[in-house]
Amino acid sequence: MMKKLAITIGLLVIGALLLVGCVAAQPGAPAADTGAPSAPGAKVTLTYMASQGWIKEAELELAKRFEEQTGIHVDYQIIPADQYFSVLRTKLNSGEATDIFGGQSGKTDLQVQYDVEKNAVDLSDQEWVSRHDPLSLEMVSLNGKVYGIEIWDTIASNYFIVVYNKNIFEEHGLSVPESYAEFRDICLTLKDAGVNPIYEPISDGWHHVLWFPMVGPRFEELNPGLAERLNKNEVKFAEVPVMLEALTQLKELYDLGCFGDNALSDAFSDANAKLASGEYAMAVTTLTAPVSIERDYPDTPAQTFGFFPMPLVDNRLAPAHPAGPSKFIYSGSPHIEEAKQYLAFLAAPENLQYLLDNTTEFADLNFSGLKAKWTPEQQEFLDAYEAKSIVYQDVVNYLNPQWMDIGKDMVAMFTGAMTPEDVLKSIDQRRADMANIAKDPAWAE
Amino acid sequence: MKSRVYPFYFASGALLLYLLFSVLPSLMGFYYAFTDWNSYSSEVNFVGLQNFRLIFASGVGQNYMHFVRNTIIFTVATILLKTVFALALAVLLTSGIHRLAYVHRVVMYLPAVLPMLVVSLVFKSILNPASGLLNEFLRSIGLGFMAQRWLVDVTWAMPSVIGVDTWRGVGYIMVIMIAGLQAIPKEYYEAAAIDGASAFSSFRRITLPLMMPVLTVTTVLNLLYGLRVFDIVFVLTNGGPGRATDTVYTAIFDEFSKGRYGVATTLSTLLFLIMISLGYFVIRMMHRESEE
Repeated sequence: MMKKLAITIGLLVIGALLLVGCVAAQPGAPAADTGAPSAPGAKVTLTYMASQGWIKEAELELAKRFEEQTGIHVDYQIIPADQYFSVLRTKLNSGEATDIFGGQSGKTDLQVQYDVEKNAVDLSDQEWVSRHDPLSLEMVSLNGKVYGIEIWDTIASNYFIVVYNKNIFEEHGLSVPESYAEFRDICLTLKDAGVNPIYEPISDGWHHVLWFPMVGPRFEELNPGLAERLNKNEVKFAEVPVMLEALTQLKELYDLGCFGDNALSDAFSDANAKLASGEYAMAVTTLTAPVSIERDYPDTPAQTFGFFPMPLVDNRLAPAHPAGPSKFIYSGSPHIEEAKQYLAFLAAPENLQYLLDNTTEFADLNFSGLKAKWTPEQQEFLDAYEAKSIVYQDVVNYLNPQWMDIGKDMVAMFTGAMTPEDVLKSIDQRRADMANIAKDPAWAE
Repeated sequence: MKSRVYPFYFASGALLLYLLFSVLPSLMGFYYAFTDWNSYSSEVNFVGLQNFRLIFASGVGQNYMHFVRNTIIFTVATILLKTVFALALAVLLTSGIHRLAYVHRVVMYLPAVLPMLVVSLVFKSILNPASGLLNEFLRSIGLGFMAQRWLVDVTWAMPSVIGVDTWRGVGYIMVIMIAGLQAIPKEYYEAAAIDGASAFSSFRRITLPLMMPVLTVTTVLNLLYGLRVFDIVFVLTNGGPGRATDTVYTAIFDEFSKGRYGVATTLSTLLFLIMISLGYFVIRMMHRESEE
């Protein structure tokens, strides 16, 4: 019996040693060469992870040119949007992030999602910093240091506004609404005339959320300093009547059938098609949507469409939204200098202009000294509506990371499982959870 | 001990792997259920029963007991539906239909061969309220009033998911039941027929009791499958509309993607315990019934 026990234990120990041996036998743990410059002459490959839709064709072209000039290859790893942040956080946490990683900018994201002070390289001394739009720069900075570069059209691609079909409006004698009541009347008039008023793709989970934080400038206009008080935890979402009013109005639009019968199954990828066909009169989308529609459906010129801000709670302000997809250099990368070189290459004026000229979705970029390409309709919108303050997902902490959860709550609100007040309380609850994790002193008990 | 053909230590290699990759992670899961482990911080602190309190306290928007309730509804409904339909089909295809019985069996089994993702995507399209095949069909035969917003209506979403899952799973259970039915000796039925037993009473007195071991297996299989259902809900509704069809595993996935590993581990630990105790209970109960 003792002999058998000894053999069993012996075998278990051998097995365990074998497993340990396999782990130890792996050559060169990544931590050993962290931050060290690569050997001269060796071909360097920079790895770069980003979410789907962040990398434009023109940028891939620029990466090829960069390789021709420097011999440094850039390997793009594109991850589906709905999984991106989980993958990124897992990689950052396990110390296996790519040399450059993409991320949505904004203070909460930088601090809570990516912990840039630990995971990203300080880029404050780079030449392009002085040419970067100050609002965008603010979005990629934390505690006075610049951690990323945000090469993005923060106006045309970022302003989500109501795009309307001018022909349909004209046909029914309608004009651009100046208040929520007027907007509701337009929807009802269109509905009675057999035209679907608004294409609202709820099935994606993110799009219908835009209606709420994008009206942030109006919340701020009615309650000056609200964002700051929310960040100091002096007031909660559920305690702000205008927020409750906005959600109540949105629910009213849904209940009145303004979003059509199939909104819960509709997808954003069909938005341009629905607008182009005239099946729907309006949709919340970007300033560049009409240009994309004209490209995909040549029978529908961009001039068919006009713009106005989302009119909940009588909003008349353009949604300034300087946060966008940004690039960060991973602090554990063995190729930090090469990565800086690549970012500097992308930020060179001629390359920025190339990116701008060759990307349909961009009308301008957030760097000085570039030649923009605004259409008359876009220009008209920018002249008519003031961008007074920044949307709430950019300035209110712990809001952007819970976007999809707000989306679920809002669907529950539409279907009657939650009230608008419940949605606001739920947002407050998640903000408190995140603040506690981030050890935010404003939430300390 | 002496009668064993192989000594115990022959199993030690497999045992070691099992301990390392199955038992140890489960035990670690128990430990992490009591911590605030999350993706935002590398620190893991012991927080006692905080995660359990969070799960059992019903809060706005994070009502975990609602997910547990949904999981139980799904499990009970699919067990009943799959068992009844599978048994009916099995009886039909072993003693009812003889012509091309094998072809029918293959056809019934086919959905089980398809990946769940494919089934879900196909049904997502079939059940689309505006352009889906089902509603179009109902409208075309004048039954437009029966057309529903299948996957996006709070009332219909869960029954739709259950329906799709039953469609996919019934063939698999049916095959197991056919094997069970074929193992019942024909003589019993012949003797019953001579004694003048009706078809129903020979089903009740012969088929059902002799099928009990098979029914135990299928029930346990369906039970364990139902409790850990994830993929079909995730693809068909993603827990929606709102959170109407969220189950425990979609909630666990949600918590993991939010980086709240501690809460997610607590949920999976709870489910693990429920599954073990329910599985044990069902096997014991049905085993006793079949012995009686």
